[in-house]
Amino acid sequence: MQNLKISMLMLILFSIYSCEEVVDVDLEESEPRLVVEASILWKKESTGNFQIIKLTTTAPFFADSTPPAEEAQVSVKSENGILYVFEELEPGFYINDVFEPELNRSYDLEIIYKDEVYTATESLMPVSSLEYVEQSTGGGFGGEDIELRAYYNDPPDVENYYFFRFLFEDLSIQISEDEFTDGNLTFAYFSNEDLVPGEDVEFEIQGISKRFYEYMFILRSQAGTNGGGPFQTQPTTVRGNIINTTNPENFAFGYFRLSETDFLSYTIQ
Amino acid sequence: MFLLFFLVSNAQDKLVLNGVVKDASSNETLYGVNILLPTLNTGTVTNEYGFYSIRLPNGTHQLKISYLGYQELVTEVTIEENKTLNFDLTPTSEYLDEVVLTEDIERLNIKKPEMSVNKLDINTIQKLPVVFGEVDVVKSLLLLPGVSNAGEGSSGFNVRGGAVDQNLILLDEATIYNASHLFGLFSVFNPDAIKNLKLYKGGIPAKYGGRVSSVLEIYQKDGNSKKFEANGGIGVISSRLLAQGPIIKDKGSFLIGGRSSYAHLFLKLTDNPNSAYFYDLNTKLSYRIDKSNSILFSGYFGRDVFNINESFKNTYGNAVFNLRWNHVLTNNIFTNLSVIYSDYYYGLTLDFVEFNWNSGIKNLNLKYDFSHYLNENINFDYGVHSTYYEFNPGEIEPSTESSGINSFNLTKKYAFENAVYFSVEHKISENFSTEYGLRYSTFLRLGQKELNLYENDQAVIFNEDFGIYEESNPIGSKELSKNRIERSFGNLEPRLAIAYSFNDFQSVKASYNRMSQYLHLITNTSSPTPLDIWAPSGKYIKPQLLDQVALGYFQNFNNEKYSLELEGFYKFINKRLDYIDGANLVANNAIEQVILPGTARAYGLELLLRKNTGRFTGWLAYTLSRSEQRTPGRTPEESGINNGNWYSTGYDKPHDISFTGSYEISEKWQLNTNFVYQTGLPTTYPTGQYRFENLNIPVYSPRNSNRLPAYHRLDISATYVPKRKSGNFESSWNFGIYNVYNRMNAVSLSFRKNEDSGNNEAVRLSLFGIIPSVTYNFKF
Repeated sequence: MQNLKISMLMLILFSIYSCEEVVDVDLEESEPRLVVEASILWKKESTGNFQIIKLTTTAPFFADSTPPAEEAQVSVKSENGILYVFEELEPGFYINDVFEPELNRSYDLEIIYKDEVYTATESLMPVSSLEYVEQSTGGGFGGEDIELRAYYNDPPDVENYYFFRFLFEDLSIQISEDEFTDGNLTFAYFSNEDLVPGEDVEFEIQGISKRFYEYMFILRSQAGTNGGGPFQTQPTTVRGNIINTTNPENFAFGYFRLSETDFLSYTIQ
Repeated sequence: MFLLFFLVSNAQDKLVLNGVVKDASSNETLYGVNILLPTLNTGTVTNEYGFYSIRLPNGTHQLKISYLGYQELVTEVTIEENKTLNFDLTPTSEYLDEVVLTEDIERLNIKKPEMSVNKLDINTIQKLPVVFGEVDVVKSLLLLPGVSNAGEGSSGFNVRGGAVDQNLILLDEATIYNASHLFGLFSVFNPDAIKNLKLYKGGIPAKYGGRVSSVLEIYQKDGNSKKFEANGGIGVISSRLLAQGPIIKDKGSFLIGGRSSYAHLFLKLTDNPNSAYFYDLNTKLSYRIDKSNSILFSGYFGRDVFNINESFKNTYGNAVFNLRWNHVLTNNIFTNLSVIYSDYYYGLTLDFVEFNWNSGIKNLNLKYDFSHYLNENINFDYGVHSTYYEFNPGEIEPSTESSGINSFNLTKKYAFENAVYFSVEHKISENFSTEYGLRYSTFLRLGQKELNLYENDQAVIFNEDFGIYEESNPIGSKELSKNRIERSFGNLEPRLAIAYSFNDFQSVKASYNRMSQYLHLITNTSSPTPLDIWAPSGKYIKPQLLDQVALGYFQNFNNEKYSLELEGFYKFINKRLDYIDGANLVANNAIEQVILPGTARAYGLELLLRKNTGRFTGWLAYTLSRSEQRTPGRTPEESGINNGNWYSTGYDKPHDISFTGSYEISEKWQLNTNFVYQTGLPTTYPTGQYRFENLNIPVYSPRNSNRLPAYHRLDISATYVPKRKSGNFESSWNFGIYNVYNRMNAVSLSFRKNEDSGNNEAVRLSLFGIIPSVTYNFKF
């Protein structure tokens, strides 16, 4: 279901009288943990040979950056036994350029980092193509922003979960499911006050699993962009699908997933 | 029944005097009037419909009838046979020429077993300094011990560490499901239409049930059946107008009151086509047919509307209709039959994504209550209650033909809640009185179109690999007609209160109550939102059960000039719902997949010191308490929520101090002040961060293990009543300053990425700084 903009509404209500101020807070620091960003993406009609897995660790909350996790051994094994070893090209960046993606096939990730073994399993999820983009005005709270709808056909009678990326100025992401749109021609919605004729916007659609959808759903709510207030939901530690088989207590953050993707570029009219 | 007969026939040696006590100027019935017979050392109190009944021996007796804000009436009654006698009391405000220094604060009743109860007179409430000068019933309750909320701008209130959905809010006996306007900035009760209110925090009589924490009973005015009268007010946020008058003089009356905030209130400055406003309407018709029959009709209708750019429209509110028949069955049995329809609606129109959303809860409620005045030492209250519910958790309909949204209904649910109760108020000796009762409640969850079935009936499963709770996939579903019972629950709820008075000004009281709650508000934010739905108990949700004990010491000093109330309480709630990490509750058709049953406990000490008379009146309230919850794993392998440890609820405030004072400078001027100090609310801070998919993700410490900075503020207000010039026109001005020293109290601390620097920062959100206000009130 599309994100009901309740928190936005409350934010408006509060913003008239409320006052936000950046303050200093002393925070406790937790022990660093491994963070796995293993997103195997296969663009339609490409070979999908070149893949990156990014490993970092957690950092103190106010730190400028998160450090790379270096000197790990990273490999992905497909269901039919082919092993792809990922080499560390730059600190924390692990690369393989002979990867052979196959839809709906299951893959196992294995990482050995600081003498502990981390594993995860996921299937490569297919996705529909992006068909076309429709442009209109009426977006935003002023009702004057340009809004874009990128259409795609949802396959009927199966549960589908989507991950969208919009590249305009910065990267923004969205997730959606087809509970209320099953089998329909439906769209991903994007609006930004800076959209003007002549600008290019890039859309990307990715097929994801239900579990990754749920993971991203929680993660996004934790990313701290909803402004707080009394209607904030309870913050939690979000666990992905990475298991530390050596020492389960020392679990890793992040996710291993494989998605088919499709791109569409659009120039604002 | 035979026991009843026995008791009734056993008490026939005296004569019965009964009747109604009313306001002499409006015929408004008065609740809680003391009727004393000093020579016989006995007395009684009027009920919520102003009715009293007392047994007296043959002869002539002196009667003293007293009520706050009214002239005491002393009269003699000669009784030779059963007799009905109505009394009219004259309000003291009609005698403004004398310096009137009686106060409206309810005085303490030392001898009654009733404890943990706060009454507030509407006149007291109207004088308190409040934000924007908007008189607010619920906000004034927060100044009492044991009552708090989840911060400024949050909806509802928390009683003795209980959740917002554990308060039974009755407006003229009808249940109100959401008592907030504008997400909690104001409450839905129009102060002009209210006669009085009573909050039970503990020792709750058997007459009430269905919520475990508290009962807030609010009665609307009946309407003036003597003469036409109108009053109103103009404030910063809203304006009010209320008219009342006779339909048939001294017999029938009407009351109609409206209140509305100004449209575009919050959004006008931004010069866009948006609006946010609320309104409510109170109506009442009452008709006294004869001395033993009255009919009362009351209605309430309120809505909040948010309209953003015509593409997002949100409407929500309550509608309540209530028809009551008061009937004096025999001269010492008063009955009230109520038929109540209540409806809470929440709707969204989302044009930008082309669909509409509707949800709500409807119920039809029948209550038949008896007050039976057996003799001077024993009163009975008994009755039956029955409620039929229809829950609509949400339906989606496409708003355009080309919409990519399929219409979809979340499964509607149906239930019956029934209860019978019997309660006895028993004065055992001069110093010892008790109130004991038993309520038997049942809840019948009826069939629905689709009920999910799970393996081992477990809708939530524990993933041992990841150490997290996950939604279980249904293995099928079953359909059952809504005329059939899917599941039923029954609970015996004993209630007991005892009071022992050492003398006329010192007593100790103790109480125990068990209560059950069959409806649960599904919410995992620190303060409920209007979008939250109510879920009935059933196959996957068990009823909440509460046990509470309270012990108190009460004393009046200096001829009731001062009073002291000291109470301790402990309560324990079983089967309190908790939400698994990351539970998504919006439009969730399978709530059972994200909830686990847990327990909640709260304990504390409350102190209330009041000065009741003199030019200076007021009270000091201090509460020391904790409110916690815990959801352990169901098996040793499961971690439980928050690792199965006790953690603070989102409204746990160990220290809560409030001071309220009022000083009468002259007939024209009165000064009022509040000071509040509270421990900061629990919150969760991050202990680290990481990056994933271009997002900065905080790593959090265990739930609610940190606290916001302490909350405190000072408010002042002054009421000016100009000398009445001519005729009946009266007016008053209220000038107020909220948060005088402009304390930037944190509503929340949020942690986010600064869009410019890309670094994380902590941001304090504060809601109300210093806010001056002025309100003009009039009456004619």
